[in-house]
Amino acid sequence: MPGMDGQSEIERLLDEMERSLEQGLIPARIFNDPEIHRLELEWLFARAWVFVGHETEIPRPGDYCLRYIGQDPFIFVRDEAGSVRVLFNACRHRGVQVCRAERGNASHFRCVYHGWTYTNSGELVGIPAAEEAYRGFDKSAWGLLPAPHVASIHGLVFAALDPQAPPFEEFLGGMKWYLDLLFGLTEEGMEVIGEPHRWILEANWKIAADNFAGDDYHTLYLHKSMWDVNVFQVPARANMMGYHVQAGNGHTISFSMAPDPNEPGPTFWGYPPEIVARFRPDRVTPEQYELARRSRVSVGTIFPNLSFLTVPLTADPDRIPPTTFMTIRQWQPKGPDRMEIWSWALMWEGVSPEFRERSYQACMASFSPSGIFEQDDTVPWPLATRTAGTFFFGRRNEMLNYQMGLSTGTAQPVTDWPGPGVAYSPRYEEGVQRHFYRRWLEYMRAR
Amino acid sequence: MSDQHPPLYHQVVDFLMHEAALLDDGRFQEWFELLAEDIVYQIPVRTTRDREAGRGFSQQAWHMNETWGTLKTRVARLATKAAWAEDPPTRTRHFVTNIRVRPGDEENEVRVTSNVLVLRHQGDSPSAQFLSGERHDVLRRENGRWWLARRLVLLDQTTLGTHNLAIFI
Ligand code: FES
Ligand SMILES: [Fe+2]
Repeated sequence: MPGMDGQSEIERLLDEMERSLEQGLIPARIFNDPEIHRLELEWLFARAWVFVGHETEIPRPGDYCLRYIGQDPFIFVRDEAGSVRVLFNACRHRGVQVCRAERGNASHFRCVYHGWTYTNSGELVGIPAAEEAYRGFDKSAWGLLPAPHVASIHGLVFAALDPQAPPFEEFLGGMKWYLDLLFGLTEEGMEVIGEPHRWILEANWKIAADNFAGDDYHTLYLHKSMWDVNVFQVPARANMMGYHVQAGNGHTISFSMAPDPNEPGPTFWGYPPEIVARFRPDRVTPEQYELARRSRVSVGTIFPNLSFLTVPLTADPDRIPPTTFMTIRQWQPKGPDRMEIWSWALMWEGVSPEFRERSYQACMASFSPSGIFEQDDTVPWPLATRTAGTFFFGRRNEMLNYQMGLSTGTAQPVTDWPGPGVAYSPRYEEGVQRHFYRRWLEYMRAR
Repeated sequence: MSDQHPPLYHQVVDFLMHEAALLDDGRFQEWFELLAEDIVYQIPVRTTRDREAGRGFSQQAWHMNETWGTLKTRVARLATKAAWAEDPPTRTRHFVTNIRVRPGDEENEVRVTSNVLVLRHQGDSPSAQFLSGERHDVLRRENGRWWLARRLVLLDQTTLGTHNLAIFI
């Protein structure tokens, strides 16, 4: 249904969702609808702060990688002065992409069409036959367009395409406190290992963001085989103990923690003592440090489409001890029913090459295209997307159930939670997802 | 090795065809038994690079970087009753062509280069997912049979056009 009719139909859907969300009901249609997808690109991805890359991916001047905000291509580059830039990857003459390699090192980007040449800070400096063709032309007005806002936290670089976007700290809200305890425990911080995995999944991006927002419940069934082959030490049910945190502004984090703070089992996500020795309690508050100490697993989503996971797993239970890794992954929208998954492995700078390699191996073996954990997620996500696109269910605005912990089950609000936001325990709870969708609605309805 | 019967080249082709059949038939345990205990099985991540920067294969990032033990875990997991990624199984078809056999570093080894094309069908979708690339294998003759001792798969894709790598290439 094109034009105004189609739009008002979606507007009615979103109005209705505003009410139904409070009862834990979400219309399936939002997970597979061309109009929703189009509006997301315009109202969400072109307005929110979106992850671009990690500073350690471009350590030297001239290093660059191609990245996407929504579906728009950007060059993530370190200029000659060492500043990180996020430049729209299009020549100002006819719009041809000036950078066609996915990564590399370059002092200049030269457009193949007519040869306009830009520095790695985006200035237009070269025009073939400039004298004959462009005498009197003001080159300084025709540089590569930068993303209006760029900011970083612990090396994670984000950009906002909306000149009116709120400051990054405000966008992060309470999530900063949790990112500090996840990524900020050492002086040097974390670095990316190698290039990210990229693969295509015929599923809506929100289903993945929602899963990492705190769908621990699915591990009991979907990931059952992980316990069958012993790649994770904490028993499946025990692993459900811990906390779900609605950190504010749609950001969420879930901690697997034993009920008793002194219960034996992995602490500091299972990092070995030589790495824990690098952690500096004075870099965070005692409350943050204690949460880090008690963490067996942390998983969450930085709204809208960057998720993280840190957990100790092994690629070979007979020979290799569980090894902690940190992965960040971006769920890139590629259509109403299609996403591209980007997945990075991170490790603390300065750890031994052996540990770094073992950590990468644990990450790849569980969370990557070949990861035996993640393989199973690639089954239900496309199926749920398919359902959302049906007429009988999707187009008739049938509701999906997000009521766990709302009127059911054992999860209760935590009254003495030491951090920002609202926490629930144990993790049989879908408030984290509802928190994500509340924020999503704010963006989608703020027209 | 040139006067062996059947000729060496045919032995190698026979091994690769047998291996492909085991993979396509989902006989992963039998496939695993073709692997030498010191096997290194690698699929590096690839990125598009300028010509002068080389072919774009990562030295640090891998789709798979396996030992005998990690492959054993993968095969064991496929044999569980909850390996949903492959239950119902996807249907793969391995095409191995352009096979070149060269002497190996050891007396009992050969280096084998080939092209591999994997078609993969899932569910009721009539369209295939494709993976194509180059295999660099080392086959070893020991105890009267051939073993796969090394495999490096150099894929043509940078972004994988398949929903997962629950399969072997
Ligand atoms: S389009 Fe880039 S120089 Fe003309
Ligand atoms: Fe999962």
